[in-house]
Amino acid sequence: MSERAAGFARMRILQAVVVFIFVLLGARLIYIQLFDSRYKELAEANVLYHEVQYPPRGEVFDRNGEFLVQSQACYDVMVVYREINKAGFDTTRLCSIIGISREKLDKELANARMRPRAARLVSNFISKEDKLRFDECNFEGFYTVYRTVRQYPRKVGGNLLGYVSEVNPEMLKRDPSYKVGDYIGMSGVESAYESVLRGKKGVRIQEIDTHGAIKGSYLKGAYDSLPEPGKNLISTIDARLQLLGEELMQGKVGAAVAIEPSTGEILMMVSSPTYDPDELVGKQRGNNYITMQNNKQHPLYNRAVKARYPPGSTFKLVQGLIGLQEGVLVPSNTYPCYQGYQVGKLHVGCHSHSSPLNLVEAVANSCNAYFCYVFRDILDNRKYHSTKTGFDVWKEYVDSFGFGRKLGSDFLGEGKGYVPDRGFYDRRYRGAWNSLTVISLSIGQGELGCTPLQMANLAAIVANRGYYYIPHIVKKVEGQDSLDHRFYEKHYTKVDAKHFEPIVEGMWRGVNVAGTSRRAALPGLDVCGKTGTAQNPHGRDHSTFLSFAPRDNPRIAISVYVENAGFGATVAVPIASLLEEYYLTDTIKRPDLLEQMKTTTVYYPSYDK
Amino acid sequence: MISSRHNTIFDGVDRGTVLLYTLLVLVGCISIVSASFDDASTDIFSFSHYYMKQLVWVGVAWIAAIVVLLLDDRFYHMFSYPAYIIGIVVLVAALFFGKEVNGAKAWFEFGSFRMQPVEFVKIATALALARVMSDYSFSINSAGDLFKVGMVICVPLAIIVLQNDTGSGIVLGSFLFVLYREGLNKWLCIPILLIAALFIVSFLLSPMTLLMMSILVCTLSEAMMSGEWRSRIIYLAGLMGISILFYLLMGLIAPGAMDLYHCLLSVSLSSLALVAVYAFRTRLMNIFITMGLFLISMIFLPTTDYIFNSILKQHQRDRILSFLGIISDPLGTDYNVNQSKIAIGSGGFAGKGFLHGTQIKYGFVPEHHTDFIFCTVGEEWGLLGTLTVLGLLCALVFRLIRMGERQEEPFGRIYCYSVAAILLFHVLVNVGMTIGLMPVMGIPLPFLSYGGSSLIAFTILLFIAVRLDASTRQFSLKPKN
Repeated sequence: MSERAAGFARMRILQAVVVFIFVLLGARLIYIQLFDSRYKELAEANVLYHEVQYPPRGEVFDRNGEFLVQSQACYDVMVVYREINKAGFDTTRLCSIIGISREKLDKELANARMRPRAARLVSNFISKEDKLRFDECNFEGFYTVYRTVRQYPRKVGGNLLGYVSEVNPEMLKRDPSYKVGDYIGMSGVESAYESVLRGKKGVRIQEIDTHGAIKGSYLKGAYDSLPEPGKNLISTIDARLQLLGEELMQGKVGAAVAIEPSTGEILMMVSSPTYDPDELVGKQRGNNYITMQNNKQHPLYNRAVKARYPPGSTFKLVQGLIGLQEGVLVPSNTYPCYQGYQVGKLHVGCHSHSSPLNLVEAVANSCNAYFCYVFRDILDNRKYHSTKTGFDVWKEYVDSFGFGRKLGSDFLGEGKGYVPDRGFYDRRYRGAWNSLTVISLSIGQGELGCTPLQMANLAAIVANRGYYYIPHIVKKVEGQDSLDHRFYEKHYTKVDAKHFEPIVEGMWRGVNVAGTSRRAALPGLDVCGKTGTAQNPHGRDHSTFLSFAPRDNPRIAISVYVENAGFGATVAVPIASLLEEYYLTDTIKRPDLLEQMKTTTVYYPSYDK
Repeated sequence: MISSRHNTIFDGVDRGTVLLYTLLVLVGCISIVSASFDDASTDIFSFSHYYMKQLVWVGVAWIAAIVVLLLDDRFYHMFSYPAYIIGIVVLVAALFFGKEVNGAKAWFEFGSFRMQPVEFVKIATALALARVMSDYSFSINSAGDLFKVGMVICVPLAIIVLQNDTGSGIVLGSFLFVLYREGLNKWLCIPILLIAALFIVSFLLSPMTLLMMSILVCTLSEAMMSGEWRSRIIYLAGLMGISILFYLLMGLIAPGAMDLYHCLLSVSLSSLALVAVYAFRTRLMNIFITMGLFLISMIFLPTTDYIFNSILKQHQRDRILSFLGIISDPLGTDYNVNQSKIAIGSGGFAGKGFLHGTQIKYGFVPEHHTDFIFCTVGEEWGLLGTLTVLGLLCALVFRLIRMGERQEEPFGRIYCYSVAAILLFHVLVNVGMTIGLMPVMGIPLPFLSYGGSSLIAFTILLFIAVRLDASTRQFSLKPKN
């Protein structure tokens, strides 16, 4: 090979090297500029600063237009480190105005120093008055941002209304529309209606440089938006009734729920012990929350919708209704009761009353034996050939009353209660069980569990003679003509309206003539009611009362459940009666009883363990 | 005679090269405007702006180009050694009296102007290399001549590395490109490249692995050159066997005194004496060259830690480690490269438009008007812009190769290839670092980066090649008249 040809060959190889290098660079450029979209996002993250403008959160009114929850202006104090007066400023004064310690201020300033031109939060929940004082002092480099904070003029309905807190990291992951520093409803109405209450954040997108200093508006504000305030809610709650309910339930553990039967609107929902909702607001929220979490009586647990209580004798109403509908019972049937119901060795006790009784009297006097007979007749009905099939039929009826499932209210975290099914007993007794095995269900004991909301709903069903509207806590959302259509539908039970009369008669007689609920009587209001005394493994019997008034065109249906308060008539009945009196007449003519019930406290050894 | 050769200074000038040069400088000016434009400034023509300063440098560069074209081509031939010596002296002077910028003591300061002599030393070295290699008696495959070439390249390289300007120093390594064109045995190029690669990779590998790889690379490439496989493989096997025996023996005599690595090292080093005798008797010069390479790498590799920890600065160590993926720190060392990739990547296909870039304007990319000027092109002009610039640079390199090939004299050819090699290396390293293909070395993008020294030096470098080419073309055109 000649020298020239060799040189030429080498030139070719070098040209190939050159081409290879340029192709390598070009390919890499094509990849990062065309195919790898992450750099565009990173570039925006670098340069765009989303200055958030927070909307005021929607407010909540009670059914009479009174404030339940108010949104009050408060301010976050921010700092831009570079703009702080280098000559120094009155730190003591600043600390006292914005309510933080000197150490906290130093810590925040040290952090702010890392990005001296970027805004950083120093302190939050500054009141309007403090903000005015702050503005007067004119601290260079510090400024305030408008936020809103919740305030509760009536100081009622802690668990009912719920509380608001800053979003936590898990929520951020679940819902990317929230950003760090946003507030979110954590429970109760705040959580259930979060989407309407929160409003829409406004944003001013600005371009920043590498030091965080603002350089101007992004695309002349084309993507900027103004904040949209959250929508107001009109709640179905009657604030005064709620307040009275909470006062009456003081010192007791339990729940009281009142429903307007003709609409399903929840008038009152008390879970006791409750707390002052203002305690879960502002700087002290975290500390108070932990204190409440450690409280052995669990004030943060909403018993009204979550607790699963044995309904006790109030459940006899359901047994009677099923018996009538199934035709195994006619109102004139009488059954004997000699201090209880006895079959062989099995004995269900009863209190002393005359015997035998018909249905109306059995309801009025809450006879255990009577409903044992009824229950067994339902289960052992010949037409179903087996007790177990009879049990299935019975369960279908019970389910139609809203037991053993969520009612579908607008309240999040609603409990299901529990109604055992055939499979449950088959497993427990390995298939060998009959109507006697499950006899405690007849008087609302055994495995049965109901939430106070379900029991109030039962009162509403009886008041309506056979149907209910799904209970709900919001009457109207600002800007919306109606609620979800499910709240306007009548939900019928499987029992015909005509079968309700003898039951209602019994409830009326129990209150107004002779029976267990005599203390609930209110002249001229025709109160109907059914007491319950539920045995439980935790101590004394639970005291419960289920009632509605007036007898015709009822305006209120109520369920009161007080844990370990003993006989139904002693605690639950007067509480329900006072609430009905107050709601229906706006006054209370029995101040002594009111005072007595407010000061009644029940001793709870089981909660102190 | 002279008047007949110089009708005008533009006679025989390669117009394509000048056009490419002009376009690249223009793109550079536009990019520097983008990189340093300040909306807030009231006086956009003030000389406090980088782009106004750069315009002055462009003017100076044109004058320099015309002066270069005015001089006779024989001048460069004559001037090459003096220029080289002056270059070395200036480099040494900078080492003692220079100003330190970014950790590199490589600048001279005159009033408000700063000059980086290393940019001009590239020209002097290219000229000196061309002169040495174009000697009539020069033979690339003689060890003595190769040693001379090595000295020409390594003396300035060593001084530049001492200045802590390692990036610029490594540029001189690109002359390997020229050596290959001039007939350097490819089996010698490969071990040089491999050893350079090994040096970088040595941070990842144990000394034992490195030693074994060096032995293998050197022995096998020598075997490739001579075609003698049998004896070389016997040599390798013997080396390994004796090392293991030696290790076992040492284990019996003085347990723990020597590990396998030191055994292999001492055995292979002592075997070099035998190899030298063999090479002398068979008169195989290649063996001496390979041995030299092996010895150099032996000096380098076991002392990698020392070099790494003492000669390289912390930021250079971090850059290398971060590039190799040994350390990762997006807000620290990786920050520059990450931000640079973000700026280029966010440009997309067509870019954000002139002066509409955000990453550069708001200072997310460091050194955005000098070493990272390519980011401005990528962000504001997108893929179209970056590929255009790469295309122009590629065309220029090809143009230089073509100019080199049509030279009558080896001097011109070697010089043109040197220029091509320097340009290619600058483009590869500079563009490569902005897109994360190369570790960050502070070397500018030719003709585009802001800076008087760099622009003027590259202009002179290029136009000497144009001048040499023009003379050749005049000669070849003349007889036709």
